[in-house]
Amino acid sequence: MSFVHQDVWHWQIATYLFLGGLGGATVAIGAMLHMFESCDRKIISAAVVSAIGFMVIGTVFLLADMLQPLKAIYALTNPRSWIFWGVVFINLYFLAAIAYVIPLLKSWARLEPLINKIPEPILALLERFNRMAALGGATAGFLVAIYTGLLISSAPAIAFWNTPALPLLFVISAFSTGAAFLLLLFTFSKEEGSSIIVQKLEQLDAALIVTELIILGAYFNFAFFLPTGARESAAILFETPMFVIGFLGFGLVVPLLIETYSIFFARHTRGSAALMFAAGCFVLAGGFLLRYYVLHAGVFQYPW
Amino acid sequence: MARYGMVMDMRLCVGCQACMAACSMENQTPYWNGKFRTHVEDIEHGTYPSVRRELLPRLCMHCDNTPCLSACPSGATYRTEDGIIRVDYDRCMGCYACSIACPYDARYPYDRKDVKTAEKLYGDDLSHQVPHVDKCSFCEHRVLEGLIPGCAGTCPTNARIFGDLDDPESEVHKLSRSGKAKPLRPELGTSPKVFYIPS
Repeated sequence: MSFVHQDVWHWQIATYLFLGGLGGATVAIGAMLHMFESCDRKIISAAVVSAIGFMVIGTVFLLADMLQPLKAIYALTNPRSWIFWGVVFINLYFLAAIAYVIPLLKSWARLEPLINKIPEPILALLERFNRMAALGGATAGFLVAIYTGLLISSAPAIAFWNTPALPLLFVISAFSTGAAFLLLLFTFSKEEGSSIIVQKLEQLDAALIVTELIILGAYFNFAFFLPTGARESAAILFETPMFVIGFLGFGLVVPLLIETYSIFFARHTRGSAALMFAAGCFVLAGGFLLRYYVLHAGVFQYPW
Repeated sequence: MARYGMVMDMRLCVGCQACMAACSMENQTPYWNGKFRTHVEDIEHGTYPSVRRELLPRLCMHCDNTPCLSACPSGATYRTEDGIIRVDYDRCMGCYACSIACPYDARYPYDRKDVKTAEKLYGDDLSHQVPHVDKCSFCEHRVLEGLIPGCAGTCPTNARIFGDLDDPESEVHKLSRSGKAKPLRPELGTSPKVFYIPS
């Protein structure tokens, strides 16, 4: 048996997986907040527009990594491939998220004239079905987030990836980055009720980080006890300071401590907003590091 | 319709790498960048003084249950009627999903630079006109003419035996059924069509 590092998917694909998960989860959480909580429409619309932007940038990174990006038009040929489903989910996501965000953009006075240029019947239709578009965007966002993990976990010879834990880890991490990004944006909100949303988001993110830690514990426990490439990959990750200190330390534990402090003790003043901003940035950086190092630790187990 | 496969007799392989050279000439693989469709692995077992050397020729296993074919979104990877797994260069977008899915390291990128160099070397005879992910085709163009793949044809010790696994009279059928020749990593469930007689 020989263990060989996978050498085909690098930081470009890690960026795609990170931005795909972040973009998907931001719309999913944002739309839920919008539907079930009265919150700042300006911030929600900014979050959804940014999420669409993340997804576009992620897709550009994916295409740039291909040998023949123009042939991506053939990607909808084989439904047994996860990439086929990724293309379906991402396109549904773009359609639903754009349809959802257009009426919301009216809350920006500067954008109102631009939005009003859209023919009235279309605008009325978008307003009428806004909740349906929100639900569609949230569903597609969730599917994109989980697809990023399913894509990686379908490699039979990379034992560390080929486990049901990986899609779970990626989807929880994606939702944590989405919650952190919204938290980051809501620290800029001037509306009075926003402090309630901030509190809800920090509770959600803390719960997601705890879930992520539990999955990571089970995942590494499984990997270290298998005499396969999974053990090799787990050992590589534990010997990588940027994974242990960068991701586990600053990407998970530090923001969890900040959020726990904020949930129990903070008064949600301007000072605690700065702390929340820092926690959000740490979670986002951690989300990228997780994907980068999981890809980096992908080890093939060859039979020679 | 045949079901082509290969048996590698590791007792006979001497590691001369003539198979790699023949394959490269036949299929214009980018040898100038160290990229081949077939390799000979030189494996050492044990520690001094009880050491054993093993030579393992390898190529695409043309699996019956094919992870690369499932992973390919564009349909560029396909199975011929004779069970050979091939790549349609014009459909391949080079996403590498197949390379990640393959448990046998059978694929490599035939990138833009390789195509440029191949254009200079092969001129009008160029067979790789666009970048794509490349792999062994069991020399299907030769097989259709009644020949055997270049690697098997050139092997001086006949370590590579090619034939129809469904033909009861063929040597590959007999060897693969005898239990003497076994596939690599059968536990993955890929049902490879390349079998190995250990040395």
